[in-house]
Amino acid sequence: MTFTSWQFALFATIVFGVYYLPPVRPFQVQLLVAASLFFYGYGQPELLPLLALAVCGTYLFLILALGERRWLPVGIIFNLALLAFFKYKFLLFDPNAPVPAGVPVIDFLLKLPLPVGISFFVFHNISLLVDLTREKKAPPPGLVDVFLYIIFFPQLVSGPITRAGMFIPQIAPKRFFDIPFIEAAKWILAGFFFKLYVANNLNEMTSYMDFPLYETLRTQDRWLLVVLYGCQIYADFFGYSGIAIGLALLFGYRLPINFDLPYSSASFSEFWTRWHISLSIWLRTYLYIPLGGNRRGKFRTYLNLIIVMGLGGLWHGAGLSYLAWGLMHGVLLAVERPFLETIRAAKWAVLRPLRIAFVFMCVTMLWIFFRLPNFDHALGYLAGMFTPSTNPNPPKLFYDLALLYCLPVIIQHLRLGSLVERRMAAWEPYLYGALGALAYLEAGPATAFIYFQF
Amino acid sequence: MAPRYGSLAWLSRCLLSAALVLVACAIATARFGQGLQLPAITSRDGALITLNRYVDEPTPDIVLLGSSLTFRLKEEYFATPRLRNLALAGGSPLTGLEIVANQPKIPKLIVVEANILSRTVDSALVARFSTSQHQHQIFFRPVRASVAAYENWMHAPLTHAQNERALQQLLDQPPSDFDNHVYLERARQQIDIDAPAGVVSDAVETLGRLSGALELRGARVLFLDMPCAQPIEEARFMHGMHEAVHKAFPDASRWLSIELDPAELRWADGVHLDERSAVLVSRYLDGIFSHLQNP
Repeated sequence: MTFTSWQFALFATIVFGVYYLPPVRPFQVQLLVAASLFFYGYGQPELLPLLALAVCGTYLFLILALGERRWLPVGIIFNLALLAFFKYKFLLFDPNAPVPAGVPVIDFLLKLPLPVGISFFVFHNISLLVDLTREKKAPPPGLVDVFLYIIFFPQLVSGPITRAGMFIPQIAPKRFFDIPFIEAAKWILAGFFFKLYVANNLNEMTSYMDFPLYETLRTQDRWLLVVLYGCQIYADFFGYSGIAIGLALLFGYRLPINFDLPYSSASFSEFWTRWHISLSIWLRTYLYIPLGGNRRGKFRTYLNLIIVMGLGGLWHGAGLSYLAWGLMHGVLLAVERPFLETIRAAKWAVLRPLRIAFVFMCVTMLWIFFRLPNFDHALGYLAGMFTPSTNPNPPKLFYDLALLYCLPVIIQHLRLGSLVERRMAAWEPYLYGALGALAYLEAGPATAFIYFQF
Repeated sequence: MAPRYGSLAWLSRCLLSAALVLVACAIATARFGQGLQLPAITSRDGALITLNRYVDEPTPDIVLLGSSLTFRLKEEYFATPRLRNLALAGGSPLTGLEIVANQPKIPKLIVVEANILSRTVDSALVARFSTSQHQHQIFFRPVRASVAAYENWMHAPLTHAQNERALQQLLDQPPSDFDNHVYLERARQQIDIDAPAGVVSDAVETLGRLSGALELRGARVLFLDMPCAQPIEEARFMHGMHEAVHKAFPDASRWLSIELDPAELRWADGVHLDERSAVLVSRYLDGIFSHLQNP
């Protein structure tokens, strides 16, 4: 059940309609937990026990760790083991083999598909363990509250990754008249617009990046498609995050903002404070700082950056392409670090646009490793960008259509939206209404959210 | 109460604006119809455009049905008037055949490519174009319609007469010396498998049934083997398919034979004719059609 399906619209409407009924008010948390379980089990009911095991196991370790801190690493290992088993088991076992291990229970587990959202709810579990143990919060939150924090349906599948310290204090009875309707509507409409109009339409074009189709492309079209994919993945994930934030607001919860115009970044470190912000904060808080951060000298800082980004890449998927993507971002962060202060101090007006263009090109070229998880195919695509094409009958891409589908991303990054908010506030509702209509009228063919696979 | 009123007013304006845009697009559809053919980005888009044109415009005298092999024979390559190519890139010739058979008027001559019949009939396309459902789009799509108008204005498809000089120049050139052996070998490996027997027999049965029904309504149905590179023709899949179809339809008078010098033909990607070769095949078919229409 994806956010763009009519089934989800019906589901969300029913849950919202019941949620604020006065007799239900004392049971709002329970209702959201039940709704989230239904949402998760709708597509993969066989994985509901796994979700329950992950939450209940984490809760048990939380209680133990609040008594004795030595249980904290055990709880973290429990969650990382779940993630490692389900995400990386196919590196060791052939899922198509009739009996991969020969033991019925293990074979059953090995044949289970990758649980949707496991990367996200495992990170929520770890945040819960670390934050609450660090705060030594007593009494600990109840099991139902923990369930809600981990499986709250707007954020269950692809985040934003909310820290426990931010979400759990919000768990309280909610009132209909406290809903920030305008803010929620703006997030939801913008989210649907970016997903349906931008990402789904661009997906039609970037499907030519698949192997072996990309071999038929002209060289300049290979470059164009990389830029288009950069816009698509942003629109797709920004769209998902926007819908998630807007939906959560309708139920009285505020989720963290996940994107802040990432393609306007003038350095790689700035990019990672603007792209998938909740993941960056998680990695910094729970990985980079515990590894020593920048407190153990320059060499160790660079190494930590590369390690954290490499693991961040592997978090996305078990493949050499994801690892390479993460490591290369780590290397870029390490390489730019010694020069950042000097570059920032330079006063040339032209320098910032040049830096933005450079960061954008590097980031978008690295998306090739995301688009083509087969490492050889990704390298082949990269090589093709620098060699003349030989196909006498290349496919035709419509550049005008490509520009029109990318335009919202460009306009947003030129900060024209904030100009509208400041100077044309009276027109804002009409603009959002038109965006909603356009998302419906011009929606591209339905495709899954890119981050669902992670 | 002020914030509530503010929210209500904002949401009302938002809904009003969305409704106005939708109404404007519905009126535009009613006023201008859906004559604009949107640019094709993928083969599926291309199929929709081709089929829309077929069911919306007058029935042609000759229709070509096929897969991506026949798709390369562009209509502007043919001198034969009132000819329409309904081949579907990535699709089955039987999809087009079923759509043609479901129309109230049918062409006089129907040519069906018989190289690749193993693909299943696209029942969604058949359902969509066998009724008036394809005309039921309520709303005008402003962005795509604008691009379509621009593309049609800037790059309107050429007629055969407009294109004749360029086609002749193409034919005057020697065949391409592009080295396609990597693509050819990759394509050969993919189809060096046995054609699935059940699928082939079902396809042959469907081809016979639909051809028979069309012939009863007065059309002439002929089969065509599109020329392929020798390693492709010899691959097990293509060879098995060829044998099965020819065994089911042994009457030589039902087959169009393309007897061109193989040394003149090229398949740049290993499977599909390049432009010069497609023009050569189209010219050859022109000769056959002329003979069939004026025996």
